[in-house]
Amino acid sequence: MTDIPSGSVARTTMDMVRGSLSRRHRKQFILQALGITAISLAFLMLFILLASLISTGHKAFTQTEITLEVFIDPEEISAERLPRGNFDDVLAAALAADLPSVDPNDRAAMRVVGGILSNGAQFQLRDRVVADPSLIGQTIALSVPVSDPYDQLRKGLLDRETPESLRRLDDTQIAFYDRLIEIGAITSSLNTGLLTNADSRFPELAGLKGAIMGSFWALLTCFLISFPLGIGAAIYLEEFAPKNKLSDFIEVNINNLAAVPSVVFGLLALAVFIGWFGMPRSAPLVGGMTLALMTMPTIIIATRAALKAVPPSIREAALGVGASKQQVVFGHVVPLAMPGILTGTIIGLAQALGETAPLLLIGMNAFITSAPATPFDSATALPTQIFIWADSPERGFVSRTSAAILVLLSFLIMMNAIATYLRSKFERKW
Amino acid sequence: MDDLRAVNRDVGTNATKISARGVQVHYGDTHAIKDVEVDIKERSVTSFIGPSGCGKSTFLRCINRMNDTIDICRVEGDIRIDGDDIYDRTIDPVQLRARVGMVFQKPNPFPKSIYDNVAYGPKIHGLARSRADMDEIVEQSLRRGAIWDEVKDRLHAPGTGLSGGQQQRLCIARAVATDPEVLLMDEPCSALDPIATSQVEELIDTLREKYTVVIVTHSMQQAARVSQKTAFFHLGSLVEYGDTDEIFANPKDSRTESYISGRIG
Ligand SMILES: Nc1ncnc2c1ncn2[C@@H]1O[C@H](COP(=O)(O)OP(=O)(O)OP(=O)(O)O)[C@@H](O)[C@H]1O
Ligand SMILES: [Mg+2]
Repeated sequence: MTDIPSGSVARTTMDMVRGSLSRRHRKQFILQALGITAISLAFLMLFILLASLISTGHKAFTQTEITLEVFIDPEEISAERLPRGNFDDVLAAALAADLPSVDPNDRAAMRVVGGILSNGAQFQLRDRVVADPSLIGQTIALSVPVSDPYDQLRKGLLDRETPESLRRLDDTQIAFYDRLIEIGAITSSLNTGLLTNADSRFPELAGLKGAIMGSFWALLTCFLISFPLGIGAAIYLEEFAPKNKLSDFIEVNINNLAAVPSVVFGLLALAVFIGWFGMPRSAPLVGGMTLALMTMPTIIIATRAALKAVPPSIREAALGVGASKQQVVFGHVVPLAMPGILTGTIIGLAQALGETAPLLLIGMNAFITSAPATPFDSATALPTQIFIWADSPERGFVSRTSAAILVLLSFLIMMNAIATYLRSKFERKW
Repeated sequence: MDDLRAVNRDVGTNATKISARGVQVHYGDTHAIKDVEVDIKERSVTSFIGPSGCGKSTFLRCINRMNDTIDICRVEGDIRIDGDDIYDRTIDPVQLRARVGMVFQKPNPFPKSIYDNVAYGPKIHGLARSRADMDEIVEQSLRRGAIWDEVKDRLHAPGTGLSGGQQQRLCIARAVATDPEVLLMDEPCSALDPIATSQVEELIDTLREKYTVVIVTHSMQQAARVSQKTAFFHLGSLVEYGDTDEIFANPKDSRTESYISGRIG
């Protein structure tokens, strides 16, 4: 203690505190303002992204359909020749019945009429007749998708004001459309085909089933490989491995591995899995193995962090009653770390779900019109499907691309929500 | 508090349970225990006192080889329990820890039910032959931990939901559930209020009938109340060891004297 009177010390100290206080408040204010600005910018970007996706994508969630009374003419379709038959002619005839201005014998005009329907309509009819040949000779009601230009017209994406020569539909075609609207044959319904159809050259038929199944098989493979291997490696490194130069070296390299650009993993997979081991191209199995290479470091790092976060007092408690190292780890530490491990895994898988570059390299951007039944069949994945559609010239694919992105985003949001839920549900207070 | 009140201190007839000779402990370059030599009597309470950082916990953790889990820790010398060298190659530390129970400074129940906390040790050592056996062990241990009456209606509630003092008694119950011969307690009352502390002290006094208890404490009153023998550590050395009354009434070493009269530490 010095011998300055205590009163004066108190006063000057308080003055100094007060002096610095306003400076500190100002600093804090600036920091907060910067933080709020940053967050607002991030939200704005997110909002713009979602708004633009939804504004173009929402149209893909409805599909224009036309309801027809189809007379299945035995002259055109005979039970013996199934599944072959002139289904397109039968459909065109049914349409022509609704369009009095068309002469059913004018082949050119009939072709234009047939063009109103999606190319898939005849297959839809064929499938029904093949399933029940007794329909031949009867009249049935059938709802089929219209072809892309008419779909665009209903969705207002085709401007009637454009000069006829630049339009995808000429005046007669638009007249047909208006007539069909007038008699109430054209309706719009929820586009379930977007999720239940595989890819197609025709936008009105193209769906995401193949991509979703491809992503599913790839993620399943990825999970089955990376989860046990990643957790095993993490547990060994964190709990059992001797701490020496070698384990430090391994640790540094796992961290490096997590930072390797994904395209490099694609090249590696192309060379090793497909080149050396001769595994099938475009197969979700190979895609999943490639993604596992990338997910594993994420899982290892998350698992190690979760294991580290288990308080040492729990380990001591278990050791203290005579548990072996292995009993401590598997009986106490791993179960307590599980929420953290699962969260890390789900986030790793969510990253893998959105990963595009390595899948492009191993050929998962092929044009495949059926959904894969097994992980060995060729398939696309959601992000590569988006890539393919974004690259397609047809107008109808523009909104479908956005819709596919929305589907992918909703899967990602779902996975992240599960991760957040797990974290909050199992979070412990020590 | 009436300090230095002697609790039945006739331990002269008891045999030596733990004997340490020339124990040295290093943490990397830190020399934490310097040449400690001590004989701890069977069925008695021995307390370790001394200023913070003098190595009480370190020495205690040598007795059940908890220091093995610290990579940088090296233990030299000879520690015997019932004449067996516990650092011998043939001794499995897991088996040793079943013989030598430990209660930690901070209550550390497993985040499981009260029942499972107590049943864990007997389960991993295969001490119960049936479900009924286990129920019996759990009840007995909880009774010995002086917590049975408080928890008997909620055995399946989580152990972490108990109060601090109850948690500590649960940890004591857990430690005695494997029926150890030696019970090590590292400042078991540091997180407890006076009521819980006196409950735990009473408990320690009854545990003496069956176990050899070693307790680390910062409270001289506590050492005087519960222990028959006291060891005073200073800067890693065992300065003085003897009957508790002796140490508190007329300490031989000047460092002991200044510590118990409040001048060091
Ligand atoms: N895990 C460790 N790593 C390195 N040094 C340690 C470790 N544990 C203890 N030490 C050192 O060993 C010495 C003795 O520590 P110890 O914990 O045994 O003291 P203590 O007597 O129990 O103290 P307190 O009364 O504060 O608990 C101290 O100098 C401490 O810094
Ligand atoms: Mg200590």
